[in-house]
Amino acid sequence: MNWRRLNNVLHRDLGYLAAGLTLVYAVSGVAVNHRQDWNPSWKVEAETRTFAPVPVSDREAMTAALVERLALPGPPKSSFRSAPHLVELFYDGWSVKADAAKGTATIERPRGRRVLREANFLHLNEPKGLWTWVADVYAVVLALLAVTGLFVLKGKNGLSGRGKWLTGIGVAIPLLALLVLLWRPGDRGPRGEGESEAGGGGAHRGMGAGRGAAGPSR
Amino acid sequence: MKKPLAALVLALLAAAPALAATKYGKPLSNATPVKVSELMAKPDAYVGKVVKVEGLVTEVCPKRGCWINVAGDKEFQTIRVKVEDGVIVFPLTDKGKKVVAEGTFTKMELTKEQALERAKHHAEETKTKFDPASVTGPQTVYQIMGTGAVVD
Repeated sequence: MNWRRLNNVLHRDLGYLAAGLTLVYAVSGVAVNHRQDWNPSWKVEAETRTFAPVPVSDREAMTAALVERLALPGPPKSSFRSAPHLVELFYDGWSVKADAAKGTATIERPRGRRVLREANFLHLNEPKGLWTWVADVYAVVLALLAVTGLFVLKGKNGLSGRGKWLTGIGVAIPLLALLVLLWRPGDRGPRGEGESEAGGGGAHRGMGAGRGAAGPSR
Repeated sequence: MKKPLAALVLALLAAAPALAATKYGKPLSNATPVKVSELMAKPDAYVGKVVKVEGLVTEVCPKRGCWINVAGDKEFQTIRVKVEDGVIVFPLTDKGKKVVAEGTFTKMELTKEQALERAKHHAEETKTKFDPASVTGPQTVYQIMGTGAVVD
């Protein structure tokens, strides 16, 4: 078996092996890219109710009154007040936020987004432990797929033909992005997130602005 | 071909206990927990120190699961445990559960503009109404930069 035959066999079989996880990571990647705008794993179903206001007293008495007035299924597992009239009741997997003075309550039920919740769980390596190794192996497989993919074909459709142009574009895209987003005249090297013009001789454009050490946290 | 597949299935099964765990981040130390009320009463005595707190999760970052608010021993008091994005992700269903969390107690001095920005950001995250009048001046914010937590 010559080297190109071996390369192609490797590329084919690694491709089969990586197909499933690649789809999982691709779907999750798009979802997570937009997490500034939404929670990619969870959605909250909220239901607003009104009730006859409950006078401010001790938490237990207010909780009991709210359970009755909102017709909730029994006492909550736990409760909390952030202010004398603001009571939160916690049930298994859902909660109630009530303004006893105004007589308004919101029942919140978090629901995992189907498929996305599970895909993000794996993609963001929430399980840690052994999954970290699976993900590392997958990353190596992806790298091998990229390298072996370059040498699958020879001739005008191979790396020496149109392949070199497409590969060049693929390499140029991240380099151009870095140039446009990070580099400024006078830069001597990469900076950490949040480094300011005064502190680092330049500022990121469009990345990390306003998130210095003293800035507000999320 | 069947052997590698069987090995993969076995590996995933071995990972199953980790999937069920409610431990986040680094393991907790054996230190005695500090009461939230104690932190609130004498915050400057704890700034820069590693503290462990226990209490009730009253709120979870609704967008990224990157912080939780923990209520302690006294009413109307909570302390925020902020964790590094992606390193620890608290699910929304942790709300209302008991937690023991550990990390470095930090102090942030915010100008009025920063405090306004913070309040606005929080309102956006929690989909609540932003009231600029709620910020009247510079603020000092204390929180725990969490490194590990166990949720019951």
